[in-house]
Amino acid sequence: MITGEQKPFEEIWNMVKDFKKVLVFGCNTCVAICHAGGSKEAEILASLLRMRAAQEGAAIEINHAAVERHCEPEFFQPGMDNVRTYDLILSTACGVGVNLLSEHIGDIPVFPAINTEFFGAVPRSGEFTELCAGCGNCILHLTGGICPIARCSKSLLNGPCGGTNNGSCEVSPDIKCAWVQIYDRLKQLNRLDLMNEIVDAKDWSKAQGPRNFKVKLLEEIKK
Amino acid sequence: MEHVKGLLAKVGIDPERLEMFNLSAAMGPRWAEMCNEFTEKIRGLGPSPIWLATYRLKRNIKE
Repeated sequence: MITGEQKPFEEIWNMVKDFKKVLVFGCNTCVAICHAGGSKEAEILASLLRMRAAQEGAAIEINHAAVERHCEPEFFQPGMDNVRTYDLILSTACGVGVNLLSEHIGDIPVFPAINTEFFGAVPRSGEFTELCAGCGNCILHLTGGICPIARCSKSLLNGPCGGTNNGSCEVSPDIKCAWVQIYDRLKQLNRLDLMNEIVDAKDWSKAQGPRNFKVKLLEEIKK
Repeated sequence: MEHVKGLLAKVGIDPERLEMFNLSAAMGPRWAEMCNEFTEKIRGLGPSPIWLATYRLKRNIKE
């Protein structure tokens, strides 16, 4: 899922303080799971902003709402008449949601209330870890299912650097060396031969935006 | 509770203004005691910044 963390409150306040009618607009999918931008967090943020506005003597009407997804128009389109009655939409969705809503809303600004971070797994409730960088050219079949792009600090493709230290990365002892993990996993799979496979220099053009794709099957059905 | 206290601090409200007490329905006297203690504590802290801001706003409108 896409993960994110709420921006510092002062930064958010500085974004909204000059507007008169603000909607804190939550997204109930990924960012709700990481307790950053779901309906509950949107409601709390709206409440905090009202408290701040009261103390600053700022006459701002601040409300909240949420939809299941900001990344697909069909989820937010039904409520757009109400959304368009505001001067500012403070979105607690990920950056994808902010972009898409901006595209559809017309002449009303959409500001981000969270910093979108990465797409990651949830090994335990409340804990998020980046396992894939979405680089557009997967080599997990060669690396025991452990991604060196996302999980090695240097994104090395052909083994560890000299900074690997007793299973940890030189960047931090809290970061496991991805290549030690890859070695251990390949050993477990009895596929250490894959360590000798040389991965060519990566084509990073597939990892850079703007990217898009269409599902061919759906395109054919439409025809 | 710690999380909510942190949120209040972010908007300039003394986290001491929020407290949670656990007690059973059979603990009436203790309940009264807690209410009195907390009321005294809040009186000691004075009006909340929100109350003061609203009061000033209303007074300015009247003036």
